Amino acid sequence: MIEPKKFWWMIKKELISLKRHPARLVSILAFPIIMILLFGYGMGGEMTDLPIVVVSQSHGDLTDLTLDTIKTTETYHVVEVMDSLSDAKERVDTGEVKAAIILPSDYDDDSTQQKGVTLYLDSSDQMAAQILESSTQGIFYRLSNVVASQTSVSTKSADIDESVMHSLSNFKDDISLHINRIYGNIKYIDFLVPAILGMTIMMSCMMGMGATIAGERETGELARLFMTPTSVSTVIGGKIAAKLLIELVRALILIFMAVLLFNVSIKGGFLQTFIVLVIGALCFVGFGIMLSARTQTQEDYAQISLPFSMPMMFVSGVFYPIETMPWILQKLAYVFPLTYLNDAMRGIMLKGQTLGDVWLDLVVLLGFTLLFFIIGVKRFNRDV
Amino acid sequence: MKNAIETKNLTKVYNNNFTAVNSLNLEIPDKTIFGMLGPNGAGKTTTIKMLTCLIQPTSGQATVGGYDVQKNPDEVRNLLGMVPQQVSLYKDLTVMENSQMCADYYGVPQDERDSRIEDLMELVDIKYAKDKRVGQLSGGQKQKASLVASLVHRPDILFLDEPTIGLDPTTKRTLWDLIRELNDNGHTIILCSHDMHEVDMLCDNVGIINTGNLVAYDTPQGLKDALLESNKLEMTEALSKISEENDDSASTMEDLEKLSMKRMSILLNDNNEDVIDSLKQSDDVKNIEIARNGRINIRIDSFDDMAVQNVLNTINASGGIVKSIFTEEPSLEDVFIKSTAEVNEDDRA
Repeated sequence: MIEPKKFWWMIKKELISLKRHPARLVSILAFPIIMILLFGYGMGGEMTDLPIVVVSQSHGDLTDLTLDTIKTTETYHVVEVMDSLSDAKERVDTGEVKAAIILPSDYDDDSTQQKGVTLYLDSSDQMAAQILESSTQGIFYRLSNVVASQTSVSTKSADIDESVMHSLSNFKDDISLHINRIYGNIKYIDFLVPAILGMTIMMSCMMGMGATIAGERETGELARLFMTPTSVSTVIGGKIAAKLLIELVRALILIFMAVLLFNVSIKGGFLQTFIVLVIGALCFVGFGIMLSARTQTQEDYAQISLPFSMPMMFVSGVFYPIETMPWILQKLAYVFPLTYLNDAMRGIMLKGQTLGDVWLDLVVLLGFTLLFFIIGVKRFNRDV
Repeated sequence: MKNAIETKNLTKVYNNNFTAVNSLNLEIPDKTIFGMLGPNGAGKTTTIKMLTCLIQPTSGQATVGGYDVQKNPDEVRNLLGMVPQQVSLYKDLTVMENSQMCADYYGVPQDERDSRIEDLMELVDIKYAKDKRVGQLSGGQKQKASLVASLVHRPDILFLDEPTIGLDPTTKRTLWDLIRELNDNGHTIILCSHDMHEVDMLCDNVGIINTGNLVAYDTPQGLKDALLESNKLEMTEALSKISEENDDSASTMEDLEKLSMKRMSILLNDNNEDVIDSLKQSDDVKNIEIARNGRINIRIDSFDDMAVQNVLNTINASGGIVKSIFTEEPSLEDVFIKSTAEVNEDDRA
């Protein structure tokens, strides 16, 4: 049986502690802000203004149009438009710029059917190279449409290490592709934020329970509680209630900051997002209790929880879709509750789904929660 | 007299097959102060944990206030108070808040709670710091605050684990007075301490636990008397060994001397030569030396009841005036060392 007065003392104690330690309170508030800034700006931002040079060996309308298009594309920062091919290559080789777009001398010659544009690319920077390649392809695809009736343009990309050039397909507008984005134009940051919210809740819940249970076991406060005629479930329940309250405030700040800083849209509504986060928090608090059930010190807890929290962070599809991972990691992902939290969060925030739509994720999360609590309470010993 | 605590063959074997407590049979009479002694790792803490329902015994039985620790743990918990060695109050809460929290955890009626706490604070003299956070208190103040929190539900039995460790002599004496007062008020007190003087002075009964067994149990004086008797017996055995086996080796003689002699230290008004000479010639004085501080340290026969009086008569006859005198008696520490050493020797054998 759970006794409300004892429950309330646990919450009261946490709140008094926070009130008397402003630094701790600031840390609780700052943590989600730092996380969202770190991951949002550090990892979720799009790559723009990549330094390039353009080698223009021809003059004419098409050249002007091409140069204008390149200069106005956000992906590039055109450092210089130059004539010398060797100088341009040298600047890529030395790492001064990421690529050189080389327009051939016959670029404006209407009689030439095949115009070989070369992208001389620093492929050692894999992320930048990928973006430059697709962006350049996109530009020349559009340009080839413009001039399709007169001529066609092709691009070539070159790897500076291997100096291998390969021709990209000749663009023609025989086939027209219509992209129908069913959830709108979603940027990487939109994909990232729901999972960052989930991950932050996971980390703070798991770390927090270590301090609460293992820490108090170490310093003896838990022993005093267990010497009173109080059930293990009341003591643990009180701890959970206190922790959950703090986590809910943290979740609110997280959502607020995500909207404020990254203009993230919450298609499924604020309340549903909040409910999913609460269920997630409950699940990870349970996970923390299960792990801390028998650990004697906070240090032990940190060592035990790390092998769970770190892989969970990288395997549960926070940064990349689970489907892009090796099959073994894909299977592993479904063992971690964070995967289900991320899925539900993305469903609600990105796709505008309802709690009913993500019911399976929620049932799995609640199932995990129940399992963790049962194991936690059963394994919990009063020995302190 | 009924017993506050009784154990019958109480045993605790941990998962790693380590037997921490081995068939412990112990009776602690109601309303007494019981001293639980034992070297580190002897099984004291495990015994206390079983008695306070923190861990389950592997076998055997323990009752606290008539309640079985396994069958009625909540009733047992209501009867117990515990002042642990490490003050385990929440450092961010005040003395008052910690006490209120403990009172609510024990289910103390709301209308009585605060007045009870205030009374206890007055009793232990910590009321002046009631609104101070525990983290800001000194060691002695923390122990007093811990006592208030442990007594708020009026437990019949109070466990004190090294309550005065690290405290200054004045605070120590205040706590000793308090322990006596609590006992006078009807609390049974179980005191775990390595301070033999503290145990000797406060406790009605003392139990020495070693390697999970109770190796000695009596009043402090009873234990010391028993040691004296045991020494006498050993000396008789050693003497017979010397006469029978003609073994008068240095080590045997040294052991014999240790058993048969006790130290007497005297401070005279004036160390005149007549007194010193007459003492040197006395049959009762086995050895004499003058310490730098002027005290005359002599060795006399431990078992001769008249030896002390004879030495005093000798001094008196030579015109010496005694300012201070003390004789070395077997202490509880001697009992402790002997009891635990015997078990260790048995173990090694």
